Amino acid sequence: MKFKRRNLEIVPPFVGMADIVFNLVLFFLILAKMQDESQIKWEPAHGAGAKPVVKARVSLTVDIDNKVYLNGKQVGLMNLTSLVASELGDTPPGERTVLLKIHKDTLAATFEDLIAKVSEAGGEMVHVIEDEQPP
Amino acid sequence: MAAGPTGGKGGAHAAWVMNLLTDLAFNLLIFFVVCASSAQEQKGKPQQVPSTQSENKPNEVKPQNVEVSITRTAVSLNGADVPLPQLKAKLAALLANKTRPEDKIVEVKSAKDTPYSMWIRVTGAIEEAGGVVALQVEVDKDVVVK
Repeated sequence: MKFKRRNLEIVPPFVGMADIVFNLVLFFLILAKMQDESQIKWEPAHGAGAKPVVKARVSLTVDIDNKVYLNGKQVGLMNLTSLVASELGDTPPGERTVLLKIHKDTLAATFEDLIAKVSEAGGEMVHVIEDEQPP
Repeated sequence: MAAGPTGGKGGAHAAWVMNLLTDLAFNLLIFFVVCASSAQEQKGKPQQVPSTQSENKPNEVKPQNVEVSITRTAVSLNGADVPLPQLKAKLAALLANKTRPEDKIVEVKSAKDTPYSMWIRVTGAIEEAGGVVALQVEVDKDVVVK
């Protein structure tokens, strides 16, 4: 008996591979978004004059327990100036935005020191607040 | 995930193409959902604070600035208690005849137990009244806030 030899053409599944790559991109995008500052608990203060802000390179958060976080990592106030300065690097003025996410009940003893240190580091501060509710 | 057949009848091919299109549509849907959730708008109040490392001139005569003191519950303007809703109007009246930027500086002195929510309201009122906020911190350094 004679069998006819079949020509098997093997084509890599490029479409499937592109799907996998795209899904991986989405996975890492979500992961990067989740790991930043979502675990830090803080409530913004209410105030007037809030404008939409763009994402900044440096973000400083003071949580409800009065702990200070620089880009999601807990830091001390002592060496904050040098840490912020090194994060900002040689960024030109206008792009040296530092987002301040200060919990509404934080006391002046903490936040004034923090503001002074960011100022020393040459940061351009943006206080993240919520628009005041009309009475 | 769709694996590509290399041949087959028309029906199988159509099913494969449909499978691909469904995958694509689903991925695009997820992509736009992620984009929409990451684009949540934050609102903030910019404050331009010049570096406090700038040299202090000891012989320089400081202009007489308006002083605002904040405690946990009260605000005082040049030593006199002022209800917070009236602060903006009173400050605007004080700053009305001042034209030079250095005269519009309002020194803000906060008690150590002043909460941030109070401070942000007061500094907001100062800026709305046309003042330039300068923090009076304990180390006798003035931080000018525009």
